[in-house]
Amino acid sequence: MKRIFGAVVTGAMLAANAVFAADITIGLSVDQLFESRVAVNNGIKAGAADRGYDVVEVVADGDAQQQNAQIQSLIAQGVDAILVCAVDQNTIERALLAAKKANIPVVAYDRDLPDSRVVQSFVGPDSLVDGRLAGEYTAKALEGVEGPITIVELIGALNDQNGIDRSKGFREGIAKLQNVNLIEVPTDWDSARALSGTQNAFQANPKVSAVFAATDTHIPAVETVLSDLGKLAPMGSDDHVVITGVNGSNDGYQAVLSGTADAFVVMGTDATGRKAVELVSQILAGEKVERLNYVGGNLYTASDAEANKAMIWGAPK
Amino acid sequence: MTRTIRDLMSRQKWVAIALATIVLAGVLSVVSPVFLTVSNFQAILVQSSVTAIMAIGMTYIILTAGIDISVGAILFVTSALFAQLYMDTESYLLAFTVTIVCATLLGALNGLLIVKFKISPLITTLATYSIYRGAAIHLTGAQNIPVPREMGFLGNGRILGLPVPILILLIVTIIGIYILNRTRLGVYTRAIGNSERSATETNLPVNKVLIAVYGFSGLVTGIAALILLARVGGLQSGIGIGIEFTVIAAVILGGTKLSGGSGTVVGSVIGAVFLVLIDNGLNLLNASPYIYDIVRGSVLLAAVAIDRYSAVRQKASLEAQRAERMGFGGPHRAAQ
Repeated sequence: MKRIFGAVVTGAMLAANAVFAADITIGLSVDQLFESRVAVNNGIKAGAADRGYDVVEVVADGDAQQQNAQIQSLIAQGVDAILVCAVDQNTIERALLAAKKANIPVVAYDRDLPDSRVVQSFVGPDSLVDGRLAGEYTAKALEGVEGPITIVELIGALNDQNGIDRSKGFREGIAKLQNVNLIEVPTDWDSARALSGTQNAFQANPKVSAVFAATDTHIPAVETVLSDLGKLAPMGSDDHVVITGVNGSNDGYQAVLSGTADAFVVMGTDATGRKAVELVSQILAGEKVERLNYVGGNLYTASDAEANKAMIWGAPK
Repeated sequence: MTRTIRDLMSRQKWVAIALATIVLAGVLSVVSPVFLTVSNFQAILVQSSVTAIMAIGMTYIILTAGIDISVGAILFVTSALFAQLYMDTESYLLAFTVTIVCATLLGALNGLLIVKFKISPLITTLATYSIYRGAAIHLTGAQNIPVPREMGFLGNGRILGLPVPILILLIVTIIGIYILNRTRLGVYTRAIGNSERSATETNLPVNKVLIAVYGFSGLVTGIAALILLARVGGLQSGIGIGIEFTVIAAVILGGTKLSGGSGTVVGSVIGAVFLVLIDNGLNLLNASPYIYDIVRGSVLLAAVAIDRYSAVRQKASLEAQRAERMGFGGPHRAAQ
């Protein structure tokens, strides 16, 4: 009797879930499109498809006011939940409050909104750990180097938490190195600025031991500078400059395979996207979720990058 | 001596930015021992090349009292076009040709829309900025596309010991100076900027000139896109964002009046070098990354303020001369 009852309940739950799932629409509010963001969004769409959810995607092109209006529009369309990667924390809160008023749960992804009164959960990269992994690798590679060690750090956007945390993590990672001269180059995630900044840094400091790129998409620009200066020495040679980065793009993958870069930290973009949908699902089912959910990256070097190609989101498929 | 410089500065606006560049270079050579090296100078010129080439095109546009906010988007869309075409066909000739032709057409389309619909250049190019950037994102799916290594020659190769980007900049500068000073197009460009109404009333081909000027800006932007792509190593969706403001800043710093009619190609090129010099100096001094934007913004503000101040003084002096010729004691005395 118990078994029959259990089977009936399970069947009813599955049927209800199917009916429930078919009606669920997630509003996906994206700050702007670039390679890694598209990779996370693809994870969200794949996770949603697995659960039978619909996704309505809007892209703000880096315009905070536009994102505000787009969220209002998602609310008007009657979406069941909103996944948001915000352009600007302060500007977006008004629209998110409207979502709360309409009983629409909001989950932030990739970029947290720590002061928001609306966001119920966040999922994104553990940028502090990602940066630290690159830093620790650099520290190990430069172990035993005598005299002052000059390291060029290509910083992401100065107002972007992921960029700030990667920088902080990297510094923690290299903390055990003595006598470090850290040259900060602001890039605003722009490779053209990374290129000129790196060039200037190498002009001012002829003996640079390592470069850390907050995003590995800057590594080809670093390669151009080293090539310009005749300093492009492969791994293992005395004049080699240790290069690391965070992201997991094809640029980083190719640079590591070719021996230009030593290592790169690959973000779990698919896992982040799928986790975001899982959080939405749990919230809609009335379950309690963690406020902060981090997806740590993995560090790969020339010795294991190719073998783990499937884990590297930017590697050619 | 001082008077000679002052006279020169009032006649040739680019002299001011040239002097400012020399002064800044002098200061930097004192505070940083590596500044005065050939390789650093080459690095500065190479870094300036993309902005400077685009600034040459923008000079023509601003000379007509116009503006083009979409140049960054043209830079991006043509880079995307090149990267995608090369990836699909592996033909340099096809990819280069299509890229340059498309860049010119996109620029010319801006001009066509401006003259056809009589909408302000700012609004028109703001709209096309969005269209062009959106088209590029659609074309590439916001993916990064690497360019072949041999293309790096355009970005860091050398001919006769000179970096290729510097050579291209030199050629574009010479062509830019020649067209502006030795051809009818140049004369008409200034004439439209001085007074579009007078230019129309004297039957100058205003519409054709405007389309040509925006097309020329597109063309040089296409050339700049190829250099940038070669130097950065591939297409990235952030390419060109905000570069329009650096380009416009270089032109204004170079002495071209935003109201049109007066300006030089040389000034804009020096303006672009000056902006790179600021970054170079801040890098050499290992300045805090937080002050870069403050310094850049302050320099631009100072340039615009000086330009405005000299324009007001010039206008006052002209009015005073006119009043004197007409027998008044000057505008202020006349008011009493």
